[in-house]
Amino acid sequence: MTALRLGFVIVVAAVLAALPLFGSDVIIQFGINALLLAVLAQSWNIIGGYTGYASFGNSVFYGLGSYGVAIAMVQWNLPFAVGMIFGVALAVVFAFLLGVPVLRLKGHYFAIATLGLAQVMSAIVSNVSVAGQNIGLVLPPLNNDRLFYELSLVLLIVATLTVFWLTRSRFGFGLIAIRENEEGAAVMGVNTTLYKVLAFALSGAITALAGGIHAYWITFLDPDSAFDISLNVKMIIMAVFGGPGTVFGPVLGAFVLSAISEILSSKVTNVAGLFFGVVVVAAVVLMPRGVADVVRQFRKSGWRYFAENLKAHRI
Amino acid sequence: MSAILEVEHVTRRFAGLVAVSDISFKLGQGEILGVIGPNGAGKTTLVSLISGTLRPTAGDIVFEGSRITRLGAYRRARLGIGRTFQIMRPFPGLSVLDNVAVGALFGHTAESDLAKAREKARAQLDFVGLGKFAAQRAEELGGPNRKRLELAKALAMQPKVLLCDEVMAGLNLVEIDEVIEVLRKIRESGISILVIEHVIKAIKQLSDRLLVLHHGDKIADGPPDTVLANSTVIEAYLGRRRP
Repeated sequence: MTALRLGFVIVVAAVLAALPLFGSDVIIQFGINALLLAVLAQSWNIIGGYTGYASFGNSVFYGLGSYGVAIAMVQWNLPFAVGMIFGVALAVVFAFLLGVPVLRLKGHYFAIATLGLAQVMSAIVSNVSVAGQNIGLVLPPLNNDRLFYELSLVLLIVATLTVFWLTRSRFGFGLIAIRENEEGAAVMGVNTTLYKVLAFALSGAITALAGGIHAYWITFLDPDSAFDISLNVKMIIMAVFGGPGTVFGPVLGAFVLSAISEILSSKVTNVAGLFFGVVVVAAVVLMPRGVADVVRQFRKSGWRYFAENLKAHRI
Repeated sequence: MSAILEVEHVTRRFAGLVAVSDISFKLGQGEILGVIGPNGAGKTTLVSLISGTLRPTAGDIVFEGSRITRLGAYRRARLGIGRTFQIMRPFPGLSVLDNVAVGALFGHTAESDLAKAREKARAQLDFVGLGKFAAQRAEELGGPNRKRLELAKALAMQPKVLLCDEVMAGLNLVEIDEVIEVLRKIRESGISILVIEHVIKAIKQLSDRLLVLHHGDKIADGPPDTVLANSTVIEAYLGRRRP
């Protein structure tokens, strides 16, 4: 990474960190949501973008993180930090137990199998009394949006540094090799099963932390909102829009799409969903490798870049 | 010559088909062993059984005196078995250099530092003549260079045994001579080689010993000249002579 780019990233992080000092309550609340979505997109990037396994089960990790915090704080009267650790522990255990069988599947089969996990978890949690069954749990309120904002920002920085580490470590190269050709990776000495499960667990741990922060901020959760499939779809769209398998793509995607969806839903309420759909379809057709790839290629090929992608789709 | 790799009564069935049937042979330390046979003879299956991407139905594979039959492909790679694929398996989105660096990072002498792994990878690229393509993406390479890339990736693992599955297929005569030269140099550096090849002239020049497979059976094993003059071998390739 060049010094210039590093400087730019630090400035952006500093501006984001200072935002609560001059932003309104609405801006801060929007910021918390956007930052948490960026964390989710970034952690999906680890398993989906770098390892090549399109997980629809990451919302399970989010739910486990939420319930970890809620159960620890409501049922056991433990501090928030302990709840976060409990949530991460649940997510990691889940990743290891279910990752081993599920990560044997590839492509669509893996996607479908993970899609089922969120449904199953929601049904299971609805019957666990310590988790408040299908009524849910109400957490002790903490009216400090600035704190939640800064916590979310720190988590996003940690997630992004983790992904940056992947691009220059042996572990990350193992994951990329698995994505590019799994059998080829195995005969070169990559322990593919272990690496896939570790990537799943790492992705899950970060996702769980985001879920924990969100639960404490919103102060209420029930099985349907905690294990929400549409949240998983959102993180995939954001990561893919920004550029899967890149360090900053998913963050960029999350910020841009959060902003678009926020503006649309306040200006043109009834057709906002439709517009959002159009944005996503246009993005997939015109820039299938995400914004990050446009930034990289635009200087070389200019507007032809979009024309070429259009042609490649045979439209 | 002591054996570095021993294949003992190995059989592999795919449902009703016996792809490899009760085959035994030894690969000597520093030896080049050629494996030939008509299409469907079981050559690639044999390489997959040794490299661990397939498990034998029966029999044992012994590497440096210890049984590796039950070890996964990645553990065999770390012990020092490198292979190339007939249907090439590059990492298409990675640069040519990083394709090879994966071998240095995870192979027999696993290097944990990325910069050092890339240094080793660069040396291997120069060795196989791909130096000037280092920064290109692997998917941009043409056919013959992809074959060289397969070789460089396997070599970066610094294996003790190299299994080459048709590294000369689709190459022209000049390119074949270059590959023969490269394989000879690899052997001189102390690596034992098993080569599968269809180009009889090339494999005859290169091999110390030839093994012939036909319908999964071993039908000959010995010095190239003797084996190629063997009537069973000629029959397998050309059919029975009319009386």
